[in-house]
Amino acid sequence: MAPKEYKYTPEHEWICPESKNKGKVGLADYAQSQLGDVVFLDLPAPGTQVEQGKKMGEVESVKAVSDIFAPVSGQVLEINQTVIDEPGLVNKDPYGAGWLVRLELSKPSELDALMDSDKYNEFVAELSENESEQAGD
Amino acid sequence: MIELLKKTPLNEAHHELRARMADFAGWQLPIWYTSILEEHRVVRSGVGMFDVSDMGRVWITGRKAGAFLDRVLTRPASRLEIGSSQLCLLCLEDGGILDDLWAYRLGTERYLIVWNAGDIEQKLGWLQRWAGSDPDIVIQDKTADTVMVAVQGPAVCQLQNLKGVCRLPRFGHTQTRIENVEVVAARTGYTGEDGFEIIGDAANALQLWESFMKQGVKPCGLGARDSLRLEAGMLLYGRDMDRNTNPFEAGLGWLVEMDDGDFIGKSALLEIKRQGVKRKHIGFQMTGQGIARSGYRIVRCGQEVGKVTSGGYAPTLDANIGFGYVPIELATIGTQIEIMIRNKPVAAQVVNRQFYKRGA
Repeated sequence: MAPKEYKYTPEHEWICPESKNKGKVGLADYAQSQLGDVVFLDLPAPGTQVEQGKKMGEVESVKAVSDIFAPVSGQVLEINQTVIDEPGLVNKDPYGAGWLVRLELSKPSELDALMDSDKYNEFVAELSENESEQAGD
Repeated sequence: MIELLKKTPLNEAHHELRARMADFAGWQLPIWYTSILEEHRVVRSGVGMFDVSDMGRVWITGRKAGAFLDRVLTRPASRLEIGSSQLCLLCLEDGGILDDLWAYRLGTERYLIVWNAGDIEQKLGWLQRWAGSDPDIVIQDKTADTVMVAVQGPAVCQLQNLKGVCRLPRFGHTQTRIENVEVVAARTGYTGEDGFEIIGDAANALQLWESFMKQGVKPCGLGARDSLRLEAGMLLYGRDMDRNTNPFEAGLGWLVEMDDGDFIGKSALLEIKRQGVKRKHIGFQMTGQGIARSGYRIVRCGQEVGKVTSGGYAPTLDANIGFGYVPIELATIGTQIEIMIRNKPVAAQVVNRQFYKRGA
């Protein structure tokens, strides 16, 4: 289940606000389960300015390449070197050790536009329902 | 028009196993059950199984079956002993590759060909065209009435129900019973490991599949099928070769036998061979950070020199590898090339196409 303290985007990124203007960003469990085994990450270098809803990197699984979007605007403070070396952490621990980058938020009010965990869980439940309907054709 | 996906006789079993399904060449097939990496590794270290019922299975029988196959294939099938098989190509008159396929000799006048899932109508039409209305050549596509399961991995001969067929030599095959199901079992595969490809009636598909499930054989999907064949240096029709590639540039000249009789495409291929090829299918390994994917551009000094045809992460090597076509002068092992990944050139090196070799 999606952690309560985190905020979520419709593209399945999460952000965990650590303080008023800093936060860790990662991919939600649904994203990793759709992608399958993650084998490569292309993340923005520290210092890069990212913009809410705009592409900030890419994640590659054995089968697929997918964009990573910035959940909020700000500057990249740090990237998770451990997950670069061991991309499978995104699958094993998407909300913990599999975090991707730490951001300094330039507009903390942007957090209000994101989903809380309840809303996000509902959103995912709906997606999964559509998916099983399609599979049952 | 809505085109419905074809389903293999094991479709329900895949859904019950909660496999991730996808469309492949018009078939609904499992991409993975638990994880592509896990499935890949089990085939390299133990034993896994694949539903490969999407592959086309066509019986060619009759008094002139052998002579007919000799005419349409790049290696004479009539020279095969009963119980043996070979990989060969189906070429167009201009030498372009229409498909690669396995030809099995089942009896004096009985052959089975197993080819790729794509372009079935065109390929059957092609065979019919050359067979004409000759009553001594009978072509029967039994793909829909049969099931095909590939059981692959170094531990394959530890399986109780395959003990009998483990006497078969490599590429050998036999008509036998597995768990009381009548099958054709062949010691062939597409993974670079020891293993069998087993064909039976669709009605017995589940019984066959379950007999392996009970012994703990891990079901594996298309994802692992693709990464295993890539590591083993095996080409995929539609990606690494097609009608616009000839066997010599694809590095498949060993599948073309010019010394025997005439076959379709032979005169064009003789001419291509005489002139020499201008480009070559190569293997490469990424030396920079990034994964090459099919369709990406291969460049040198900012100039496009070719395209990636297959590429991905190689779990056994823990490296990123691929295939592609480059001009012949860049095809030498050790040549430095670059792959355009998200508009950035990333370094790679031409290496031996057989990235992984069994027992190495």
